[in-house]
Amino acid sequence: MTAYRLASGGLIDRSNTIGFTFDGANLSGHAGDTLASALLANDRLLVGRSFKYHRPRGIVTAGSAEPNALVTIGTGARRDPNTKATVAELYDGLAATSQNRWPSLAFDIGAVNDRLSRFLSAGFYYKTFMWPAAFWEKVYEPLIRRAAGLGRTDLPRDPDGYEKSWAHCDLLVVGSGPAGLAAALVAARSGLRVILVEQDFALGGALLSETTKLDGEAPYIFSRHAIDELHGHPGVTLLPRTTVFGWYDDNVFGAVERVQKHSATIDAARPVERLWRIVAKHAILATGAEERPLVFGGNDRPGVMMASAASTYANRFGVAAGRSVAIFTNGSSGYRTAADLSARGVEIAALIDSRTDASDRAPDGVRVVRGGGIVDTKGRQRVRAVIADRGGFEEMIACDAVAMSGGWSPVIHLACQRGGRPVWSQALQAFLAPEVGDGLVMAGAAAGHYRLSECLDDGARKASAIVEALGRPVAGFERPVVGEEVDPSFTALWHVPGARSKAFVDFQNDVHGKDLGLALREGFGHVEHAKRYTTSGMATDQGKLGNVNAIGILAAMRGVSPAEVGTTTFRPFYTPVSFGALAGSSRDEHAMPVRRSPLHGWAARHGAVFIDAGLWYRSSWFPKAGEKTWRESVDREVRTVREHAGLCDVSTLGKIEVFGPDAAEFLNRLYCNPVLKLPVGKARYGLMLREDGMVYDDGTVSRLGETHFLVTTTTAMAAGVLSHMEFAAQALWPELRVRFLSVSDQWAQMSIAGPKARTILQAVVEDDLSNAAFPFLAAREVRLKGSLKARLFRISFSGELAYELAVPAGYGEAVADALMRAGEPQGLCAYGVEALNVLRIEKGHVTHAELDGRVTPDDAGLGRMMGTSKPDFIGKRLSTRFGLTAADRAQLVGLKALEADKDMRAGAHLLKDGAKPSTVNDQGWVSSVCFSPTLGTHIALAFLKSGRERYGEKIIVWDRLRGVETVAEVCDPVFVDPENRRLMA
Amino acid sequence: MASLISCPHCGVRPKEEFSIRGDATPVRPAPMASDEAWNDYVHVRANPRGRIREHWQHVAGCRRWLVVERDNFTHEVFSVTDAAAARGGAR
Amino acid sequence: MAYDYQAVHVLDGTIGAVPGQRANHLAVHRATAIAVVLAAPGHGAEAAGILVADGAFEARFCGPGEWLVLSEVHAPETLVAELAIRLGAFAFVVDQSHGRVALTLSGPDAARILANGIAVDLHPEAFAVGRAATMLCNHLSVNLARTGIDRFDLVVMRSFAEALVADLKVMARSHDLSVDFATR
Repeated sequence: MTAYRLASGGLIDRSNTIGFTFDGANLSGHAGDTLASALLANDRLLVGRSFKYHRPRGIVTAGSAEPNALVTIGTGARRDPNTKATVAELYDGLAATSQNRWPSLAFDIGAVNDRLSRFLSAGFYYKTFMWPAAFWEKVYEPLIRRAAGLGRTDLPRDPDGYEKSWAHCDLLVVGSGPAGLAAALVAARSGLRVILVEQDFALGGALLSETTKLDGEAPYIFSRHAIDELHGHPGVTLLPRTTVFGWYDDNVFGAVERVQKHSATIDAARPVERLWRIVAKHAILATGAEERPLVFGGNDRPGVMMASAASTYANRFGVAAGRSVAIFTNGSSGYRTAADLSARGVEIAALIDSRTDASDRAPDGVRVVRGGGIVDTKGRQRVRAVIADRGGFEEMIACDAVAMSGGWSPVIHLACQRGGRPVWSQALQAFLAPEVGDGLVMAGAAAGHYRLSECLDDGARKASAIVEALGRPVAGFERPVVGEEVDPSFTALWHVPGARSKAFVDFQNDVHGKDLGLALREGFGHVEHAKRYTTSGMATDQGKLGNVNAIGILAAMRGVSPAEVGTTTFRPFYTPVSFGALAGSSRDEHAMPVRRSPLHGWAARHGAVFIDAGLWYRSSWFPKAGEKTWRESVDREVRTVREHAGLCDVSTLGKIEVFGPDAAEFLNRLYCNPVLKLPVGKARYGLMLREDGMVYDDGTVSRLGETHFLVTTTTAMAAGVLSHMEFAAQALWPELRVRFLSVSDQWAQMSIAGPKARTILQAVVEDDLSNAAFPFLAAREVRLKGSLKARLFRISFSGELAYELAVPAGYGEAVADALMRAGEPQGLCAYGVEALNVLRIEKGHVTHAELDGRVTPDDAGLGRMMGTSKPDFIGKRLSTRFGLTAADRAQLVGLKALEADKDMRAGAHLLKDGAKPSTVNDQGWVSSVCFSPTLGTHIALAFLKSGRERYGEKIIVWDRLRGVETVAEVCDPVFVDPENRRLMA
Repeated sequence: MASLISCPHCGVRPKEEFSIRGDATPVRPAPMASDEAWNDYVHVRANPRGRIREHWQHVAGCRRWLVVERDNFTHEVFSVTDAAAARGGAR
Repeated sequence: MAYDYQAVHVLDGTIGAVPGQRANHLAVHRATAIAVVLAAPGHGAEAAGILVADGAFEARFCGPGEWLVLSEVHAPETLVAELAIRLGAFAFVVDQSHGRVALTLSGPDAARILANGIAVDLHPEAFAVGRAATMLCNHLSVNLARTGIDRFDLVVMRSFAEALVADLKVMARSHDLSVDFATR
């Protein structure tokens, strides 16, 4: 038996003792305890230091509104900072540490802030850190950052797994107290798909700590029967340890389930937390009500807690809040706590009631001080007395705990997360949820029905209405007989007059009554301003406990009703959610799917170095033994292609097949160049514009049949071009009879380029590949020897005699292997995208390095492609704008470095020889660079003002970022074979 | 966390399955329409609060372009129709 | 030189088989013939009528006038030829046997496993046996068909098959799942 554990009672398993540590001390509790109840039982009342003043703080609540008992649970990579001890389930081996204190909880240097508090009033950081301005970055900000925050996280990689799941139901019930259980029972019996969510590890809500009898038995017995029955309904899902943190569009609720947060040993096969997205046709919020603190001097002294929490600790956990408890109340709830504690043998030092005319009956022998109030408390790390004031007469009452009850506020947070504002109820002296439509209703205490019988009735009634709305017969619910119950009426008391020391409104953020007064005097009386100015209701707390009191105080000071002050905005998350849960399984390779080409295995066998290209992994170069740098490999690959032949994987290009009687007309409107007259069996280079006249993407168009085309896109724009085509076909010209399909994944495609390409390919292909039979730009189905069908295109990116061969993806590796074997005597090599890039720069072909969205066809030297006589195509109209045809536009040129040992970098700017670098002197930019093994020098593609008139000019390639300046000569962008002899060979 | 769009072809889906292009109101002008008409179509967009019509594509589903009529303040969705049908297309 | 090309499956060597026949099983089909049928504009209804399952193939809805047709009986070429003859001018038929990968997830937890990546309500009353649709599974678009109360087919782009199998294993982490190529 520990210091404050009662001899009997509670729903804990006293036969099951659990060991845990707090700040290194070995302690024990029982199964069924929370960390908070176990700490209280061990006389560990002091659990934290407050945020600003570092005042010692104790446990205040028994639930998720806890402002003080924020601890770090776990060690190393499994540290969870800012965990509420009041909801943390106790488990064997739990290691908790306190926060925001140094060097220890009992002796904390930061507590000096409390002595300096008159310099740390509300808004102090807006005033104090204003000058000198230069101090901000170097002194103030680091200082504030070090002081800010409560717990600290750790940097090691989180070793645990997380999961995200979708769930669907007819009815979501949030909260498993009397209203929630009654609602779930009615819905389940009526055959609805029901999800019942409870943030506690035990289902039952208030029934677990309630003493009013149901059918003559303790109410938790009723809850157990109800839960057993719910388990038996196939359409019911029960989710304990799950917090609904947000209500989103279309009645989707976000919830986080703590799957393995109550165990020291983690089963790696399962997630530690699961994030649920629950799509609910209807939802009932049976979230209960939160008891409000009283704002009196010294109300933050450890040992001062909510009266309902004192009842819960006694009734559910068998723990006494103190040995002699003073109760301070403005309503009936204080009397209920007095009865609960008395019944368990706890002494009541006094019951101080702020009301003068109350008729509530205190337990026999309890002294009641009517019309009184607490103005101060004594003690440092635990309260030892209170100063009570009645009509100017003060007395000191010795006690070691204070239970306070300031009335009740329905928990309406979720219902207000989508813009609905809470509605002030004068009768209940509380904010109620607004009407938010059919999808979500409040029930029980959350709807302002506090009596147990009302909660049960209301839950059943709200569920019945939903069953009816869904057109189902309503099953019966016979409410159990409710014993003598308490009507928790109260008379609002926003703050207790005559406070002799700080009277806290927001414990977590150290906001006291005077701070709100200061905010109002300084012009920050609007509730949203007051929140930011004082920090009341910020951080992990979000005003769960203190907000209504803050609003009441502001209202009283402004002389208006709380309705007029209103509340601050409610937003998700109701309680903090870990980043791990939000990310779910989307980390590492699961965050972004990896796409591998059908030739990946072939490339890997030839030693390819791979590079990320969007989601794709592409073979970048193929180092051979003895090659020390990537440049050596790339130079060799380029030379081999130019002299012999090379094979490159081009499978990642987008491929779209287009069908239909209007396919040609459709493509004619899509590309800026003419497509209508493209003969069957031929390919053509195609350029797509955006509607603003700039180049969007390029590729090839092949006509496979009269009404059947195949178009290719760049790898990067494959998805975008498909969407663009779908938009044009569906939204712009739905009258055109055209259909298309992305076939990118069906085909493994390889480019065979170089003077020996035909010889090599002919060894594998059945059809005649002679120039006459298969000329430049031929495109058609061919048969490979051994009878596999393939598609062959005589197109070239490298400027060499080249073909692209496409075979069904699964055959890609086998065909590539066959080509490599056939090409071996011819000197064929595998080459990657780096060599491909060098080859196309040498040939002056553009890619998206050039086509960056600012470039017209004419800028890229492709102006003659424009089918200006076509009646319409995307981009036609705006491509004739004055600005797009101006003579001084930057035009594609080639650059040859004049200093052999100096390279150029993409992104560099161009300057006239001798000109100072400036925006005015800027002549253009470099888009692509490489070392050309063919020319033996560094070359580049660049855009230069009126560039085509400036061949031969010397220009400065100026790269301030990397500190490189190179002299280059402007030239034609086609460095290799401008007459296309190789291409046509 | 979620918004649900009811695709006329696929049923209720989360917004993550869609990509949004923007205002669905402008109609592509005739090729020889005035400079002003083309400038408006390509460059000018109102940014109203309230009820709007937008082009959404169901990229992870049926890949159809849809016209979603919704309130950009309350997020209420009034209707979702196929863009081709909205243009009176032949499908 | 011999030209007897052997096709490889995209998951050869990367499937990461989890052996056995556990409560839930993911089978990757090696040799399913798959075609996409695109109805000719204005002929969706005729095409749909012709595509009613006949034992030799099954059509799955992808979008208006678009179906995936799967066959365990036909070879890719014969499936395409058969469909082309049956559909005539009502549709275009495209062989996708190498472009897509078909998988079957079966077992009592199949729907629950899929709910870890799929937002569609898979309750048998909401997504009945015989239904098919294309939807997002985590980051990937898949065509999902319910072929039994506890049995689903997934069809995915070839280049995403490896990622999908890896994802499904994670989605099934709390459940008992074996993974292998289908034996046929």
